[in-house]
Amino acid sequence: MNESVILKRLLIMSFIMAGAAMLAIALAVGDRRQFSFSYLTAVLDVLTTALGCLFFVLLHFVTRSRWSVVVRRWAEQASVAIPVASALLLPLGFGLGALYPWADVSIVRSDPLLQHRQPVTNALSFGARTLADLLVWSALAWWFRRKSLQQDLDRDPRITRVLQAASAPALVLVGVTVTAAAFDWIMSLDRHWSSSIFGVYFFAGSVVSGLALLILMAIIVRPGDPFESFCGAAHRHDLGKLLFGFICFWAYIAFSQFLLIWYANIPEETEWYAIRMRGGWRLMTLILALGHFVVPFFFLLSREVKRRRATLAAAAFWILLMHYADLYWLIMPNLHRGGPRLQPVDALTLMGVAAIATAVVAHFLFSSPRVAAGDPAFAESFAHGV
Amino acid sequence: MNHHATLEIDPADDRAPLISERASLHEITETVARVVEWKPPRGWYLVFGISLALLSLFVVSLGRLLWEGVGIWGNNVPVAWAMPIVNFVFWVGIGHAGTLISAILFLFRQRWRTSINRAAEAMTLFAVMCALVFPAVHTGRPWLGYWLLPVPNQMGLWPQFRSPLIWDVFAVSIYGAVSAIFWYLGLIPDLATMRDRATSRLRQWTYGLLALGWRSSQRHWVHYESAYLLIAGLATPLVLSVHSVVSFDFAVSQLPGWHSTILPPYFVAGAILSGMAMVITLMLICRVAFGLQHLITMVHFDRMARILLLTSLMVAYSYAVEMYTAWYSGNPYERFVLADRAFGHYAWAYLLMLLGNVLLPQAFWLRRARTSIPVLFFVSLFVNVGMWLERFVIVIVSLHRDFIPSIWRDYTPTLWDLSTLAGSFGLFFTMFCLFVRFVPMVAMSEVKSVAAPHRAGVTEARSPRPESSVLIELNTAEELVFAMRELRSAGRTDFDVHTPMPIHGLGELMGLKRSPVPWFALVFGLLGAAGGMLLQWWTTGVAYPLIVSGKPFFSWPSYVPVMFECGVFGGVIGAVIGFLTMTKLPRHHHPLFEAPNFERATDDGFFLSIASGESTQ
Repeated sequence: MNESVILKRLLIMSFIMAGAAMLAIALAVGDRRQFSFSYLTAVLDVLTTALGCLFFVLLHFVTRSRWSVVVRRWAEQASVAIPVASALLLPLGFGLGALYPWADVSIVRSDPLLQHRQPVTNALSFGARTLADLLVWSALAWWFRRKSLQQDLDRDPRITRVLQAASAPALVLVGVTVTAAAFDWIMSLDRHWSSSIFGVYFFAGSVVSGLALLILMAIIVRPGDPFESFCGAAHRHDLGKLLFGFICFWAYIAFSQFLLIWYANIPEETEWYAIRMRGGWRLMTLILALGHFVVPFFFLLSREVKRRRATLAAAAFWILLMHYADLYWLIMPNLHRGGPRLQPVDALTLMGVAAIATAVVAHFLFSSPRVAAGDPAFAESFAHGV
Repeated sequence: MNHHATLEIDPADDRAPLISERASLHEITETVARVVEWKPPRGWYLVFGISLALLSLFVVSLGRLLWEGVGIWGNNVPVAWAMPIVNFVFWVGIGHAGTLISAILFLFRQRWRTSINRAAEAMTLFAVMCALVFPAVHTGRPWLGYWLLPVPNQMGLWPQFRSPLIWDVFAVSIYGAVSAIFWYLGLIPDLATMRDRATSRLRQWTYGLLALGWRSSQRHWVHYESAYLLIAGLATPLVLSVHSVVSFDFAVSQLPGWHSTILPPYFVAGAILSGMAMVITLMLICRVAFGLQHLITMVHFDRMARILLLTSLMVAYSYAVEMYTAWYSGNPYERFVLADRAFGHYAWAYLLMLLGNVLLPQAFWLRRARTSIPVLFFVSLFVNVGMWLERFVIVIVSLHRDFIPSIWRDYTPTLWDLSTLAGSFGLFFTMFCLFVRFVPMVAMSEVKSVAAPHRAGVTEARSPRPESSVLIELNTAEELVFAMRELRSAGRTDFDVHTPMPIHGLGELMGLKRSPVPWFALVFGLLGAAGGMLLQWWTTGVAYPLIVSGKPFFSWPSYVPVMFECGVFGGVIGAVIGFLTMTKLPRHHHPLFEAPNFERATDDGFFLSIASGESTQ
C-alpha cells in the first residue's frame, strides 16, 4: 500500500470521526427538540442534494443524452450519499414525538383533524413509508452506479440500453416516493397545513441543489488532474443552463403555492405563510426569494458566467447554501414561531452530517474511475462543443 | 422507394436518421413546396367543405347568442360557468403542444422536432383563436370587451388587476401574439423559398412581400438564429405561465374542487397532453394525405408518444395527489366534492376521463404501440375526449353541488351549447386546411439542417462562372468552407455566403461577432415587466383605488402574472426589433436577386458573394 492511499484513508477516517464528534457535541449541548429539528434539517439537506444527483443520472438516461456522459460519474458517486444520509435519518425514529404533533398523544387527543389523519400519520405507517422511500432511492443509486462502473471494465453498450430502459420506471418510483417523503417528513411537521403542490416543491429544491453539487464537483478537481479537462466550457454552459432552468422551475412552484394560498386566504392554509411572513421570518422569506431566485436568475443569464469556471462554481456554492436556507425555512418555524434562531447546534449538525457524507463519497471517488469512459457515447460527450 | 426507406428506420435507435437518408436538399424543397403549389388532393376539398359547414354552424350559433343572450345556453346557478369555459380551457390546452414542440424541444436540441414544428405551431395559433372566442362571448356583452384592456376612458374605469380573469386576458392574448411572431419568424426563410419558386406573378408578389427580402445571407442567419433562440427561451416560461394562469382562474377561489395548489403544474401537464394528442392525430392524417411519409416518420411519432406518456403520468400524479390532499386536509366540503366526482351523478365523465388520460396512454410504454398507426390514432383521439371531459369535471361537476343542498342542480347542455362546441372545430379545421394549402407545412430550412449537409447539391458539378465574379456558386458546404478559408487567409472579410439553411461555424469563419440581439431582448423585457407593474400599481392603487376581496390597494402578488406576461412580451418584441435592426430587413430589393441561379440559395445552392460593399450589409 503506497503512502498516498494511506493518507487518503486517514483523511477519510478523520472526516468521519470529526463528523461523529460534531454530532455528539450537538446532541450533548442542544436540548432534545432543538437537536431533533436541527438534525432533521441537516440530514434532509444532504439527502435531498444526493437525491437531486440521482435525478440527474435518471434524466441523463431517460432523455438518451450524450453530452453529459463525462460529468455523469460525479452524480453517480454523489448519489452514494443517499444510503449514508438514510442511515443517519433513521435514529430520529426514536423521538418522533419531539418533531411531529401527530406523534404526540396529548396533542392528538384534543385535535379532531389529527385524529382524522391517524390512519396515515401513525408511527408504524410513517416508518414503513420512510423505509420504503429510503430503500428505493438507495437501491436505485447503488444499482445505476454499479452498472455504470461495470461498463468501465467491459465496455458493453448493452448496459446503456438496460439503464435507459430502467430509467423511466425508476423516475415514476422516484416521483411517488419523493412526494410521500415531502408530505411525511416536512409537511406533517405543521399541525394542520396541507398543500397538494408540496411534493413538487420539495422535488424542485432537491434537483436545484443536486445540480449545484454536481457542478461544484465537476469544477473543483485538483488542477493538473487529467480528468479535469473533460468538463469543458460547453459542458459547464449546459450544466449552467440546467441549473438556471430548475431555479426558474423552483420559483414557479414556490410562487404558485404562495399566490394560491395568499389569495384564497383560508385560515388553516394561510397560517403557514402568516408565520413565515411576520416577525423574524419575514427577512428570511425575503432572503430566500432574492437569494434562491432573483439574484441567481440575473447572475446566470449571462453566457460567460455559465462558461467560466469560477463564476459558475460561485453560483453553485451559493445555491447549496440557499437550499439549506430553504429547508431551514420549511422546518424551523415549527419550532421557533417568532423568527429564525440560528445556533451552534445548527452548524454542528450540518457540518457533522456533511462531513460523514463527504467522507463516504470521497472514499468511492478515490477507489473508482472518475469518468464513465466505457460509455459508448463517451467520445462524443468529450467532443461536445468542440 | 422513399416509403420503404422510411419503414426501415428503427425508432428505438435514437441515432436513427430523422428523415429518409435519400432526401437531398432539393428533394426536401420539392416535397414540401409541392403541397402548396399543386392542386390539393380531393380529400382536402372534402375536409375543407365539412370544416366550412361547421364554421357556418359556429357563426350561426354565435349570432343567435348575440341576438338572444346567454340564456340560450344551459348555464344556470349554481353552474354559472359551464360549457363555454370548458371549451375555452380545452382549446387553450390544445394550443400548448405547438409552442412546446417548437420552443422547449428546440432548447433541448431535440432535432426530431423539425418536421412537425411548423404544423404544430400553426395548430397552436388556430386553437388560441378558438379559445379566445369563448371568454369573449361568455361576458354576455362582447361589444364591451375593450373594458378588459387598460384603455383610458371617460368613466375613469380600469381593469380589475386583482382578478385572475384579467390575468387570463393578458396571458392568452400575449401567448397568441408571441406564438404568431414565433411562427412567422420561423416561416421567413421558407417564404423566401416559395417566392423564388413562384411561377405566377401573384404568388411571387405575395410570398416576396412576406419574406421581407430574405436572401439567405450568413450575416442574417446569425441574427436570425439568435432571435429564434431567444424567442424560444421566452416562449418556454410563457407557455407554462399561460395554463398556470388559466388554472389560477379556478385555484385562487375558495371553492372545494377548485382550490388546490397542485393546479398550475397539473393544468400545464394536461394541456401538453391534449396538445400532443392533437398533433399526433393531425400529423397522422397529413402525412398520408400529402405524401410526407419520408419527412414525418415513425421516429417522430415514437418521440411524440413518449411525451404523451410522460404528461399522462404527470396528470395521473396530479389526480392522485389532489384526491389524497382533499382527504388529508380533513375539510368535509373538499372531501365531498372529490368523492362526488368519482361516485356522483357525473361519475361516467370522471371514469371516461381516467380511461382516456391515464389508462390508455399507458400503452405507450411499449414501442410497438408507439409505432403503430392505428394505436396512435385511437389513443390520441381518446386523450382529446378525456381532456375535454377533465375540464367538464373540474368546471361543472365541482359547481353542480353547492354548499347548500337546496340549490343543487344538475347541468344539461342545450343544443346551442353543443352546436357552439362543434362549430369551434369548424373554425379550427378551416384555418388548418387553409394553412396546409398556402403555407409550407414543414419547416424546410430546418429540416435541411438536419439532413446530412454533405449531400447538398450533388446533382452536377458546376464551375464558377467567370462573368459573375462577385457571386460564386459552390457544390457543397465543404467547398464553401474551403473557399472561405482561402479568402480569410488572403485577408479578406468583405464577403458573404448564402445557404438555404443556417450552417454552424460559418459565422466564425467570416469573423462575425456574436449577435447583439439578446441585449435588445433584455432591455425591452425589463422595460415590459417594469411597465406592467407600474400600470397595475397606478391604476389600482392611485387612479382608481378600490378594495376588492379584502386585498390591499397594491396587492403585488396578484400583479406578478401580468408583470411576467408583459416582461415576456417586451422581450419578444425586443428580439424582433433587434433582428430587423441588425439585418436591415425588410428590404425591397437587392442586386443579388438579379444574379442568375441565385434563387437556388433558398433551395439547395451554396453561394459566395465577394466585395461590393452592399452584399456585406
